Amino acid sequence: MRNQVLLFINGNPYRVSGEDAFLTVSDFLRQRLKLCGTKIVCSEGDCGSCSVLCGRASPTGSNEFHYLPIDSCIRFMFQLDGCHLVTVEGLAGNPLVADRNPKLTDVQQFMIDCHGSQCGFCTPGFVVAMTGLLETNPRPAVADWRRGLTGNLCRCTGYDSIIQAGLQCNSHNRPPINELYPAASMLACLRPTLDDEILIQSNDDPSVALTIYSPNTIDQVTAFLAENPTAKLVAGATDLGVQFNKGLYQPKIWLDLNRVGELTGIEINERAIIAGARATWTDFETLTQQRMPQFHQIVSVFGSPQIRHVGTIGGNLINASPIADSLPFLFVCEGELEFISRASRRIVKINDFYHGYKQVDLRPGELLTRIIIPVLPQQSELRLYKVSRRKDMDIASFTAAIRLDLEGAMIKAAFIAYGAVGPRVLRLAATESFLRGQLLTEETMRQAGEIAVTEITPITDVRGRVDYRMQLAKNVLLKFYFETRKELSPSAR
Amino acid sequence: MNDHPSSKKTDVAPALPYRLAVGRTIPHDSAVGHVTGTALYIDDLPRREDELLVGFVGSPIASGTLDSIDCTAAEKIPGVVCILTVADVGPHNLFGPLFADEPFLANQQLLYVGQPVVIVAAESAAALHQACRLIKIQATESEPVFSIETAIAGQHFIGPRRQIRRGNPDQAIRFATHRLSGEFRSGGQEQFYLESQSAIAYPSEENQLVIHSSTQNTTEVQTMVAEVLGLSLHQVVCICKRMGGAFGGKETQAVIPALMVALVARRTGRAARIVYDKDQDMRVTGKRHPYLCRWEVGFEPDGVINTMKCDFFSDGGAAADLSTSVMERTLLHADNSYYIEHVEFNGQVCKTNYPPNTAFRGFGGPQAIAATENIIQRIAESLSMDALDVRLRNLYGTVDRNITPYGQLFSGNHLPKILTTLEQTSDYRRRRQQLVGRNAEDAFHLHGLALTPVKFGISFTSKFLNQANALVNVYTDGTVQVSTGGTEMGQGLNTKIRQLVADEFGIPYPAVILMATSTEKNNNTSPTAASAGTDLNGAAAVAACRVIRDRLSELAADVFSARELGFIPSSEHIVFANGLVRDSRQPDTGMPFAELTRRARLERIDLGARGFYKTPGVDFNRETGRGNPFLYFTQGAAVAEVCVDRFTGEMTVPRVDLLMDIGVSINPGIDRGQIIGGFIQGLGWVTTECLVYDSAGRLLSHSPTTYKIPGITDLPIDFRCDLFPNDDNTHCIGRSKAVGEPPLMLATAVWAAVKDALHQLAQDNENAGDVNLSLPATGEEILRCLTQSRVDQPPFL
Repeated sequence: MRNQVLLFINGNPYRVSGEDAFLTVSDFLRQRLKLCGTKIVCSEGDCGSCSVLCGRASPTGSNEFHYLPIDSCIRFMFQLDGCHLVTVEGLAGNPLVADRNPKLTDVQQFMIDCHGSQCGFCTPGFVVAMTGLLETNPRPAVADWRRGLTGNLCRCTGYDSIIQAGLQCNSHNRPPINELYPAASMLACLRPTLDDEILIQSNDDPSVALTIYSPNTIDQVTAFLAENPTAKLVAGATDLGVQFNKGLYQPKIWLDLNRVGELTGIEINERAIIAGARATWTDFETLTQQRMPQFHQIVSVFGSPQIRHVGTIGGNLINASPIADSLPFLFVCEGELEFISRASRRIVKINDFYHGYKQVDLRPGELLTRIIIPVLPQQSELRLYKVSRRKDMDIASFTAAIRLDLEGAMIKAAFIAYGAVGPRVLRLAATESFLRGQLLTEETMRQAGEIAVTEITPITDVRGRVDYRMQLAKNVLLKFYFETRKELSPSAR
Repeated sequence: MNDHPSSKKTDVAPALPYRLAVGRTIPHDSAVGHVTGTALYIDDLPRREDELLVGFVGSPIASGTLDSIDCTAAEKIPGVVCILTVADVGPHNLFGPLFADEPFLANQQLLYVGQPVVIVAAESAAALHQACRLIKIQATESEPVFSIETAIAGQHFIGPRRQIRRGNPDQAIRFATHRLSGEFRSGGQEQFYLESQSAIAYPSEENQLVIHSSTQNTTEVQTMVAEVLGLSLHQVVCICKRMGGAFGGKETQAVIPALMVALVARRTGRAARIVYDKDQDMRVTGKRHPYLCRWEVGFEPDGVINTMKCDFFSDGGAAADLSTSVMERTLLHADNSYYIEHVEFNGQVCKTNYPPNTAFRGFGGPQAIAATENIIQRIAESLSMDALDVRLRNLYGTVDRNITPYGQLFSGNHLPKILTTLEQTSDYRRRRQQLVGRNAEDAFHLHGLALTPVKFGISFTSKFLNQANALVNVYTDGTVQVSTGGTEMGQGLNTKIRQLVADEFGIPYPAVILMATSTEKNNNTSPTAASAGTDLNGAAAVAACRVIRDRLSELAADVFSARELGFIPSSEHIVFANGLVRDSRQPDTGMPFAELTRRARLERIDLGARGFYKTPGVDFNRETGRGNPFLYFTQGAAVAEVCVDRFTGEMTVPRVDLLMDIGVSINPGIDRGQIIGGFIQGLGWVTTECLVYDSAGRLLSHSPTTYKIPGITDLPIDFRCDLFPNDDNTHCIGRSKAVGEPPLMLATAVWAAVKDALHQLAQDNENAGDVNLSLPATGEEILRCLTQSRVDQPPFL
């Protein structure tokens, strides 16, 4: 049992223990290492000013790190065991070589040349996120730069100059991070420790100490959970990190899933997609592009790249938010969840899992391990809707999944799930039963809308008023009709 | 740049002549620091060993009286060093830029949720946060004022009602062929600078204080700290190296955090630092003023407006701050770009129980221009005209119809040319024609198009603010330090001044450095605001350079004189160029600038100077609403096309064309950045940025999760930005023009295009009334209008 986190930052090794392990990464960088280039603005993963590159050992076993930009303000130090972290300071030249005149990277140079910075406060985050995008996509087009930087807010430039800088980078060689920081020696140092269990306490006094346990296997997780049923499971921390920063939540015992390899991976067969609970949204984004274009659309506006790189499907499900982007889809697919505890394993239908606001059918000691998403039959028409104030990097004002299984124009079965209109994501049973056996017409869908609004209980909040949500609840049914029956479009009538 | 002036080259002719710096696209002077993370902001400054972290506890209610404050539990937290309330402040608790009406710490009356009540200073962040949570404030609530209407009904006003009036509007409107009237609302806007409000105070000898502040206005911070703490001005130094954005939000509102650390430093004798977190910053600081405009317009069948009457009411929040000046600028911009014969613009600031609203890029101008463009759209709708034709009919003339309602001659009017140019380059007419067909064919989207102009007056409308001083120090290696009262918030002021100064001495750009802004070097300064930062501070810096250059010219004249060749000393012939100083009569002679500065010192010539500039010929009488408030006008126009989802109200902006007049640009790269950045910020104001409060007056949209500024995908895919070339702005430094604020108002075109799209739907429906689209046109607001215009008709057509 190890009581330290081992990692490299900008090529230098660090052992982090005690209360430092519970710091957010951005606080550790700024307060402990005095690396103040990483800025903190929102402390909630919405602005990207704190972006750093997190390198993890490639699963292929090659002597390289795989680098992804993440938001360091909602990541904890204890989640970084075995990583190589590169901050903005680590990009300008290689600090292993005492280089007093830092040689700028292409991204840095073109950000300067193209006036990509004005006040400069968001700039380190942009530079890191851009560098990260180039790690995985050597020649991003305009659209890639736009999609790739949705997690970074800039209030000064209007972004045009930043995109220009990105496009300049495309035509140049730049050192990949693995060249700037050869991974072999770092990995040689880290690999022997990767299978250690980690247990760290923030303080010697057990009455005030926080505990983090970071195991490697499901068995270790369930064993610990059986002994410590109040332990807070943490994977991506994209929500927990925010709650922690805003002083809303401070668990005494944490159980970190980041090193449990069994929980990763997505497997596809003809009948279903089976995803490990720790599969990230980036994993899904890649996978669904061809196989599930509708879901891909929703995944691609799920948070930002920084969030998708660490946020997990399991976290989204267990968090049980009524506005969770993924839930309406999983509801109408009639997905299933696998839970394992020390003593048992069970499968729960997702439609039965949520009981009320943040109330779920989770038993003490249980761990969500897998999500099973059945592949929809050919005759299913599926549309997913997410309406938000801003298209990207926003939380939904209203979400919907509408699936009609059709035989010609006849609706054989209807599956409708709405989010942000009640304490949990709702299946609209009455609307579904009305639709069953009806012909898919504009009038049918209009009537369905009138029933749908009787089944939902939206509230007025910061993301919209009741009447707005009621109107959307009606309109998406009509939109579904027009989208799936284009030949009947109004202008053609 | 290899040809650094300190190099000991004695070649008379350098291999490559230095290009003039002015007019070139030179990167921001801190760009290297930005991209490497080495540019320091307040919270990045190293901590002093004795330093305290400062925070505060705010009012739990929007309106009422303070009953008691219980700090007993907080005081017991280890590491808590002091807890201060109004009792610790002394007699001068009230402050304000225009009137001293804003309490620094709440005294009896509670005015808005989050209003600072208790200051806590502690040795660690953990102790500070724990202590703040333990402080209990008891208060008795009274009836709050949360809307402009309630304020009007109860006569809760700040300052007098102001008016600009011309002709005989009451009579003229009765004779107009057509009349329309209505109400128009525009929402507030959070500045959303990324670096939150922050300050550090260092106590010093003889009761002096050194304050590092993220402020647009070092003199304001110095003055308010001195007044509230009972110090003299010479005991307080305020320094600002740079800001991580400001946009007006740090013109006055940097004062409270600076006061907090100043008070703690005075009380404890220790360094003190405060850095608001984003949520706190958004909750307690002022924003762009929400406005209500009640309007009436009289016009002719050809679209010519003969009368316009607007009553503007702004939500000033709980104290004056800059609200009356903001309203003044509203009244001065309600004409936007149009000559209107009979005019009555009235303005009244309302007092409500929100944080005092303040400056934000545009400063009342955007609210006026949006209100006027709404009227133009309404006229076009009612006459079934292209709104561009209504605009062109009413546009200011170049030889006549060129007097503003407040009596200033609008000279240098490029608007007719700008509009017709943009009309062509954007292919406006053809796209307009296609719109009807496109809307009939598209079952899913509504398309809209609009072209709107902007004319923005440059100068502070308070005459005394139109001044600046600068300090220029030349060193004996030929390098130069420049200090001005202007502050750098990302807008590139320092870069532009470096360019101006480099050219004054004919030296390469890197030989000039802009120093941190400090009241120690530049006293009695104006805020860096009103887009006038470069106009004022650049001119002052150049004035200082000329003083030094005159002294050096006399020396050089002596050095280069050759009586034997008939050249008597003539300073008029001394030229500073290409890193050399020469006598223009003797092209082969010359001396590196550095060499001349070294000689100057030996000859006991002063190589430092202060420069001073005051804007000539501006003044405005706010009592009569008449005068010549502006030195000149920056102008421009934008065409925006929008695409609205008929079912959800979601909106995208597929194409935007901007054309902006900025005179002769000092730095086109920087100016382009200001134009595009300003436009996108305006895009946020007119579309997604929505301040939402609960019924108790608490801001719900207090972080980027809930308050949506434009993201990168909100930049229109087809985005074209051009500069309109002209060199007639002889009033201003290098014939340049101020560019900070005007482009923000170009985004009015996006709002007007949404209005146009909605009208395309409404005009097919006889039963639909006017779709009274408010600003911002959020998806929710658009869907409301879509639903309203579809009443009694088959949907989605």
